[in-house]
Amino acid sequence: MKYFIIGDEDAVLGFGMVGVFGRVATNPEEAENAFNDAINDRNTGIIIITERIAELIRAKVDRYIFSERFPLIVEIPDRQGPLAGKAGIRDMVNQAIGIKL
Amino acid sequence: MASKNVAPTKTNLIKLKQELKFAKLGHELLDQKRNILVIELLKLIDQTVELQDRINDALANAYRSFEESVLKMGKLTVVNISSAVNVTTDIVIKDRRVMGVSLPIVDTTFNEFPPYYSPTGTNFWIDVALKSFKDALKILGRFAELKISIIRLATEVHKTIRKVNALEKIAIPELTEFVKFIQARLEENERDMFILMKMVKKRLESKREKA
Repeated sequence: MKYFIIGDEDAVLGFGMVGVFGRVATNPEEAENAFNDAINDRNTGIIIITERIAELIRAKVDRYIFSERFPLIVEIPDRQGPLAGKAGIRDMVNQAIGIKL
Repeated sequence: MASKNVAPTKTNLIKLKQELKFAKLGHELLDQKRNILVIELLKLIDQTVELQDRINDALANAYRSFEESVLKMGKLTVVNISSAVNVTTDIVIKDRRVMGVSLPIVDTTFNEFPPYYSPTGTNFWIDVALKSFKDALKILGRFAELKISIIRLATEVHKTIRKVNALEKIAIPELTEFVKFIQARLEENERDMFILMKMVKKRLESKREKA
């Protein structure tokens, strides 16, 4: 199985160097299309998506993260660094599940 | 409470007692399951928080060196070179089960066939970029594994907590009350019967005396 990257040009090019196939997305439609492509490809094991792009199609990404078994989705910061004010993993768990850790 | 809907018979008593026993057993098991899941979850979260920092550093590094190489050699050259790089990644995703929750295990392997480009005429930043992107990708596989595991575990913990609470706060008290109610009624009936018998006996005796 393969990785698939959706992100800005730099991320896609950079990961492209190490053999990750990907699509550049700059607006919600492109992001959505790329995401659908990645999901429909049975060979995709892990989707890497930059935080800013994930933000554009947040509902869809979250649906896949929380309810689908496959593929795995991981969000990474892009060239401009991590999104400010983004909840950490602890907060994410607290928020989504409602349990304090 | 709904206890008035149950006929106070011995059969019902036995049935309810069994149900109560079953509910208590279930409660105990679910409680254990919850504890195990939470322990696992805490373990994973600690690892992930640490890994998150490493990922951020690795990526910042990778982007910076990539940008640097674009600045030094021009985008076109970089794109050309990167298309010449023949590294393929392969991931194997396996399953690990904790208390019936399937958690992924990601295994990343790189297939490399260097050298990819001439060392003359290329800047050293491209080498750094290549290396740092590879490092980042290596950690990313593990990170994806942990993050998804955490989400699945947390969902399961949530479900289990709801079940435990439902049993503890609703099912078990209700059943206990039913059992108590039926027992009280049965005892009451017994006493009624006893008094009745006494009275009959008394009456029979007084009849015999008169005769």
